[in-house]
Amino acid sequence: MAHAAEHEYTTTGLSHRKMLMWVFLGSDCLFFGSLIATYMVYRGQSLVGPYPIDIIDVPLTTVSTFVLLMSSFAMVQALAATNADNKKATVIWLLATAALGAVFIGFQIYEFNAFKNEGLTLGGNLFGASFFTLTGFHGAHVTLGIIWLVAIAILAAKGRVGSKNALDVELLGLYWHFVDIVWIVIFTLLYLIGGFDVGPVIPGG
Amino acid sequence: MAHETEHTTHHPSFNQYVLIAIILFAITIVEFLLIWDGAGIVDHLGASKIPLLVFLSAVKFAIVIMFYMHLKFDNRLLGSIFIAGLLLAFLVGIALMGLFVGFGGGQRSYAALNAVPYEEHHEADEETTTSTETTTPPVAAGPVTFDISAKGEELAFDTTSISADSGAEVTITFTNPASFNQHNLVIVAAGDKDLVAADGIPAGADNNYVQPGDSRVIANTKLLAAGTSGEVTFTAPAPGAYQFVCTFPGHNFTMFGDFTVN
Repeated sequence: MAHAAEHEYTTTGLSHRKMLMWVFLGSDCLFFGSLIATYMVYRGQSLVGPYPIDIIDVPLTTVSTFVLLMSSFAMVQALAATNADNKKATVIWLLATAALGAVFIGFQIYEFNAFKNEGLTLGGNLFGASFFTLTGFHGAHVTLGIIWLVAIAILAAKGRVGSKNALDVELLGLYWHFVDIVWIVIFTLLYLIGGFDVGPVIPGG
Repeated sequence: MAHETEHTTHHPSFNQYVLIAIILFAITIVEFLLIWDGAGIVDHLGASKIPLLVFLSAVKFAIVIMFYMHLKFDNRLLGSIFIAGLLLAFLVGIALMGLFVGFGGGQRSYAALNAVPYEEHHEADEETTTSTETTTPPVAAGPVTFDISAKGEELAFDTTSISADSGAEVTITFTNPASFNQHNLVIVAAGDKDLVAADGIPAGADNNYVQPGDSRVIANTKLLAAGTSGEVTFTAPAPGAYQFVCTFPGHNFTMFGDFTVN
């Protein structure tokens, strides 16, 4: 495929697929930007609890943030191994990335479940609605990335991924790193800054 | 052309990637220490922690897109496309914040007065269902009386469930034996209690913490001061699951019981 791409004529001289991936990521910025803005607008507006201070566990989420950052490191190693035509290393780093992503999702499932038990639900209050919508869509992105990683890892194990079609891994990497940077923003706004929010803003109060 | 790009795209070495990972980790640790009580930095920072945390997160963001996503080494067009999307997202965020929160970080008066909690979006549907239910003519039945009391000083009722036949005249005598707490007793359809209580907060004590004209409230006693009692009489609604709840702010989470209409 990369062979075909090299001979492909484009007015910019850039691969169409890579261009498309960046256009998608640019548009996904808008998607998450809107959800984050919605969260920030509704921040402190819930009239019933639980409120962030009651349930947000910053130390726990700091650990899962570490895990996701680590997975981005594994991802760049997977691309380096692909460029070096090192089949074994490619498969190992791809699966390592997927495994770290799965650990992150595990943390999220644990967190969502704990929050649900504390009374925070999608329909319970504004905090729950905006929190679960934002972090849930992020989790869905991570889950999709894991499926993609495993699929490419299977192809790599069959010897069908190498320096000739390294673009396949590079595009996957771009998507994966994007999911990571979205989390960097969410972690700062919802946990480090918003995680200590107390009570509602009551009209006139 | 494509061939040329292929060669200009050089990636950092393994050691450089490790260094980048360590920097990202270090920034995350610094962020955590900034807000962690145990480190004691948060008390000295006050509100200045917010721009600091936003700055650190922007640094991490930039490092990942420049090195891990190779924008530093790749064709500038790709970066421009991404930055354009990012910029638009920022503008959307600023526009929304401006619309609902107001520039200058002032009062959230507009949103505070008008924001509707998520669950109330479905209220219209629920009301339609309830109204169709109530159109079925209730079967007349003999009057019933209940004596319900708050459970001492606890935020709970001494009775957890009562039942009556649809159409029956129900009289509930509610006693508040507490030495300090105020309570009321409000009859609502099962599932409505927290919403009714939330809407009762702005109504205030003068309205017994019940929104005036709230169609979800079937009946309610007055707000009873400590050591007093009150009575409420109403006709049992259509068969179904209902609840009695105290709507004094915060009490609704623990102080409620089931009211079944047969």
